[in-house]
Amino acid sequence: MKIEDISKNTEQLVTIESKDLIPLPYPYDDPANEPLMKRLTDDQRMRYEASLDGIIAIGIPKPSSKEEEEVFVKKFLSGLEKLLTPENNWTFLQPLYHSLEYCVKCQICNDSCPAYLASGKKEIYRPTYRAEVLRRIINKYIKKRNKLLLRLTGSDIDLNWTLVARLGELAYRCTLCRKCAQVCPLGVDNGLISHEIRKIFSQKMGIAPKELHELGTMQQLKAGSSTGITPKALGNIIEFMEEEIEEKIGRKIKIPVDKEGAEILLIHNAGEFVSWPENTEAFAIIFDIAGIDWTLSSDLVGYDAVNYGVWYDDIQLARIAVKHAEIVKALKVKKINVGECGHAHKAMIVVADRILTGELNIPRESALPILADIVLNNRIKLDPERNNFPVTLHDPCNMVRLMGIVEPQRQILRKICPQFREMEPNGVDNYCCGGGSGFAIMQSMNFPDWRSAVSGRMKLKQILEVFHDVIGPDVKKYVCAPCSNCKGQIRDLFAYYNVFERCNIFYGGLVELIVNAMVDIKKPFIEWEWR
Amino acid sequence: MNTFLAILTYFAYCFIIGAYTVKIIKYLKLPTHLRWELYPVIHEEKYAYGGSYFEKKEWWNEEKQKRYAKGILYLLKEYFTLGDYLTRNVLYWLGLFPWHIGFILIIAFHILCFFGALFMVLGFTISSGSPDLWGRILFYSILITGIVSFITGTVGSILIIINRIIDKSLRTYATPLNFLMYIFTLVVFISGLYSWYFIDPDMKEYREFWKGLITFHFVGVEVGTMVHIILFDLFLIYLPFTRSLHYITRLFAFFLIRWDDEPNRKGSELEKRLIKNLNQKVGWQGPHIGAGRSWNELARYDR
Repeated sequence: MKIEDISKNTEQLVTIESKDLIPLPYPYDDPANEPLMKRLTDDQRMRYEASLDGIIAIGIPKPSSKEEEEVFVKKFLSGLEKLLTPENNWTFLQPLYHSLEYCVKCQICNDSCPAYLASGKKEIYRPTYRAEVLRRIINKYIKKRNKLLLRLTGSDIDLNWTLVARLGELAYRCTLCRKCAQVCPLGVDNGLISHEIRKIFSQKMGIAPKELHELGTMQQLKAGSSTGITPKALGNIIEFMEEEIEEKIGRKIKIPVDKEGAEILLIHNAGEFVSWPENTEAFAIIFDIAGIDWTLSSDLVGYDAVNYGVWYDDIQLARIAVKHAEIVKALKVKKINVGECGHAHKAMIVVADRILTGELNIPRESALPILADIVLNNRIKLDPERNNFPVTLHDPCNMVRLMGIVEPQRQILRKICPQFREMEPNGVDNYCCGGGSGFAIMQSMNFPDWRSAVSGRMKLKQILEVFHDVIGPDVKKYVCAPCSNCKGQIRDLFAYYNVFERCNIFYGGLVELIVNAMVDIKKPFIEWEWR
Repeated sequence: MNTFLAILTYFAYCFIIGAYTVKIIKYLKLPTHLRWELYPVIHEEKYAYGGSYFEKKEWWNEEKQKRYAKGILYLLKEYFTLGDYLTRNVLYWLGLFPWHIGFILIIAFHILCFFGALFMVLGFTISSGSPDLWGRILFYSILITGIVSFITGTVGSILIIINRIIDKSLRTYATPLNFLMYIFTLVVFISGLYSWYFIDPDMKEYREFWKGLITFHFVGVEVGTMVHIILFDLFLIYLPFTRSLHYITRLFAFFLIRWDDEPNRKGSELEKRLIKNLNQKVGWQGPHIGAGRSWNELARYDR
């Protein structure tokens, strides 16, 4: 396949075949048992762009006329021009410029990309592929190089609707885990290229996956949370959580809400309230017993740490970051603690650091160091024997490779899980769960099958390998994933391959393991029930 | 001809310095961006495992001093060993390493020739039997860097061409200009090798030529040496049009992007730059944006 093939009007550029996928260890070592990825219906193919790899992440509607095609391409080009200007893209222009100008195409980064490796090295998933396509478009249509130079620099590419639509989809085949950038000897970041292409689509063309934009940032700003939980609904959820806590630990705990002047505003990914309330309950139990002065917020956006803008749209990123900061200011708390959500960590603590100026620059930190402090300094009584089953740790890219929070979670696990074991590679060299950059919440058509079979495959391989000596269903095992999106991806990945039933591998957060080890609580906190 | 050669050489050096300076200024003038670091960050005390100050409670209470020495040492080591390539693709490294050593040494060779000439102007004798210690040091330094550069550069150029042809992933992304560049460098190194072996085994001509450049009394050289000088001058003129500046921009990419973990503190210089950025008008026109306002206004503007 040649790079310029992306603009050719073929039915489909690449097909994902089970036989091409990287093999999985026992008991998934027979490719014949690989679940079949959903094929798109004829109607879906007719209505949406699916000619990249037969997978739909965004769902770009096909144009109804030549004029519509031209407008689409023109908008893309205009967006690309803006992307290269300081006033419109001060946020990322320097790293983008570096990656566009100084990649020598040595391909060193290829073997670090989980999607590229898992797919059996499909050319379109190669980290340098989309960057090279973008570079060629810039050379030909922005820099307007002459024909000879285009030939000499291998930059001849035809810009048409097919190319732009495929490139848009292709930007959503990279999880922005940035493992490729980590290994580049020249500091080139091909993950960033995907991020920047997404920005053109959103900020100029108004195109983004529904789950990230319409149901994501827009809903969060309007209704208070990307889950749709309103402040009123939050009240009911907290009541429910208090009842559940009482049932589980045998005593009532009052979850503080909107407590002015508290030491800590704890802010969770609101997905936890809906899908894993045991995580938010565990936080409440630990903080209460450890005597932490904390509160939740019931203010619009204040109870949802997510900021999907970090994946596709700088303006939305800024809006949500400012909203979070304003809430803290109004509540007069000392600092924000981000719960177990990787991208919220990265967005709120790191990326938004250069958006929040003056009074909005409120102290923000991860909850993990505080949890480590509580556990390591025996501020709660723990019995590691209660967690005497094999446990491994998944490192959320946003928290670890992109933020350097590596040890606190390990210190906790070493203390409370006698059978803790590391998967390989781990820490800052980890592999993405396959659900990064919004994939975990994107449910479009057959995209969930792709993220299980392809982008999540390396993670499944790692999990099966780390538990290879106890892989049978007779031993219960736990994957600790201190991140909501990673948990969502692992949940879907396990369901796709039936991992819980076949191997008895369960997954969950870090705080659940802490509470499970608490001596004052009679019943085990982890219920080992697949939901 | 002597004058032409001298003017071309002056021009080549002025051009490369000027063009690189313009490119470096352009790079450094790009606005302060959002944080986008990757761990391990070299100056972190927990660098060994990739940890950061975010592992500490209330990290903002600690004033951190950025230490540059460790980062510079790390990059210098990489410049001379290309260790990342060695670890990840030995075959590629086998070509890339001698090619780059050839570049580093050919530049060192010409710089040493300049100093050799300068010492000659100051009255030193540059030869193997020179009574001056510096004369002997410079003689052998020029000789060794020149010979090693020409040999490693030639070998490296050939191997890198072979590598780009036989490795499918390298071939797919290689451009005609890449191959022209490799062939060009091969010719530059071979011409140096030829000139040394057949014409100027002591590299005397280069020193005399450089002395002429310093004193403005331009001297003639043998055709073989002249060809090498012309090719090297053209090579210098061509370099700014390639990605060769990655030798320098790599430093920026690591210090200004990958290892840039500087927190934004109230009242800091960084904050002032950010406020300036945030006050710029946004030209994006997506339906949810609300174009025409500044970043600051938009961040507070609910659609």
